[in-house]
Amino acid sequence: MNEGLVHGAVYSVLIVTVVLTATAMALWFERKFAARLQTRLGPTMVGPSGLLQPVADLLKLLQKEDIVPEKADSIIFNLVPPLAALTALGAAAVVPFSPTVVASDLDVGVLYVLAIGAVTVLPVFGAGWASNNKLALLGGMRAVAQSVSYEVPLLLSAMVPVILSGSLRFGAIVQMQADHHWFVVWPFFIGVPAFGIFLLAMLAEANRIPFDIPEAESELVAGVTTEYTGMKFALFYMAEYIHTIVASAVGAALFLGGWDGPFWPGLHWMVLKTLLLFTVVYWVRWSLLRFRSDQLMGLCWKYLVPASVLLVGASAAWVVFR
Amino acid sequence: MKSYLATAARALATTFTNAFRKPVTVEFPDVIRPRAERYRASFALLHEEDGDEACIGCLQCERICPSEVISIKAGGKRESPITGKKRGYADDFVLDLNACIYCELCVQVCPTDAIVMTREPELPAFGREDLVLTMAKLYANEKSKHRAWGDATRLNGMQVPPKPPKAEAPAAVSAASATGAPATAAPSARTVAPAAAATPASSGASSAPASATALPAASPPASSPSAALASAPVPPIATPGAAVVPLPAPDTAPGQGPAGETPGTAPAVSTAERGPVPPDSSREGTS
Repeated sequence: MNEGLVHGAVYSVLIVTVVLTATAMALWFERKFAARLQTRLGPTMVGPSGLLQPVADLLKLLQKEDIVPEKADSIIFNLVPPLAALTALGAAAVVPFSPTVVASDLDVGVLYVLAIGAVTVLPVFGAGWASNNKLALLGGMRAVAQSVSYEVPLLLSAMVPVILSGSLRFGAIVQMQADHHWFVVWPFFIGVPAFGIFLLAMLAEANRIPFDIPEAESELVAGVTTEYTGMKFALFYMAEYIHTIVASAVGAALFLGGWDGPFWPGLHWMVLKTLLLFTVVYWVRWSLLRFRSDQLMGLCWKYLVPASVLLVGASAAWVVFR
Repeated sequence: MKSYLATAARALATTFTNAFRKPVTVEFPDVIRPRAERYRASFALLHEEDGDEACIGCLQCERICPSEVISIKAGGKRESPITGKKRGYADDFVLDLNACIYCELCVQVCPTDAIVMTREPELPAFGREDLVLTMAKLYANEKSKHRAWGDATRLNGMQVPPKPPKAEAPAAVSAASATGAPATAAPSARTVAPAAAATPASSGASSAPASATALPAASPPASSPSAALASAPVPPIATPGAAVVPLPAPDTAPGQGPAGETPGTAPAVSTAERGPVPPDSSREGTS
């Protein structure tokens, strides 16, 4: 057995475990954080400071009846929830937590992440289609429209660090920032707007507020997850959190210098930055209202896409004429 | 787009500052907030001072109840086992709290102050039948539960329009009416009694205006529930030929404000102190 395979297997297990644990804690964190933003306390009863609330939630979801609607396409209906969680988890494979702690530092890491990110819409639409429910179908259609649109600025803004560092490999991108400057620090006039666009597109990809029109609970009941119960619903729910965590880690690696820090570079900086980004995502989620469908498309095509095209050009110019 | 960005920035700023504010959550089972002055949750049927049932089975509460939760079996007139006088009785009295809207109308119409509401904090039950108050439960509540402020006498006293204060009224009294307290001073004698109930919160009748403006939280929640409120409606108004007598030390039991008497008018009655008085005498406040 070759060394790379063992290394990959060990770190895959490790990272999957860590990400899933982080997801469970993210549930607790979101509830606590959202509560504080609304001057409430959040869960306090289950465990100290409600820390065991995710466990209680999981037990509750496990007990729920598993229902497959009679007219639903049962094969796809049952296939997509694990698919949703797996595609969200897949991107974690190439995220560099430190120079050594990475499951697989692919040469085309950024491309891989973006490709996996694009696939995440498939289970969502599959769920909407297979549910045989008009609300779920509407949600699925919205998800496709949104995902396809926001794929463009996401891709273009992710290209900025690629162009600046001259590599698609996450390790090289972070090393470049560690050797010189983080991309949000210098050249900040390219890095900061690119980072902002990346953050917005990331929110849209993860279907989080203010881009949660596929779920839109006030209009579409629960959107694509309308017909899902118990653990299948939990998998969709989990996929959303995993997606947010992994996307935060990717953003931290691409723009915030990854494992690099003012002192003692290492794993902890990456974790810290990921948590910071994650917090920002939830801060936005619990502060803003949902976009209307047309506003969502308007924001994407009228503002984000032109801006990110400009940024790609600017970063190319920066590399050539610096 | 521009306005959306401004709004979004404001929303983010609001939530950001919120994160550093003290949470407003009151952790309910551990911390119970003080109940409002007029808080009421359940019912009790009362006895006269001599031990006879106060309810005369007149069916007025059954008739006025908007959700029709009261059903009474009137027993007709018979001789009281205690006083020997002929009077009405209720053979059965059932109040179904499941549909009760807590409007207190039954309390308000009661000619004998027989039914009152109680102040217990919560009223959870494991079954609907637990919330059906039978006659036995209602009489048991008389002993076991704190009473709410209102009884028929007091509630009807509040219906009387306020009377402008007289020129020779004491300074404390004019101050009390100047605070905008709805004076329900009836021409009858019961004006003094609720003012006495205010004294647990303050030290004497002269500081009644202070307690009239006090927040409900400032008064102990259970021991003197009616303190601030009782003082508000009824400042002691001196009527011609009637001096306000010094008030006795008040009994702090809820709903049992001791009645001070003003000479020259009918005696003030409270539920606790009412003896074998004919039922009609307690209706004077409505005039």
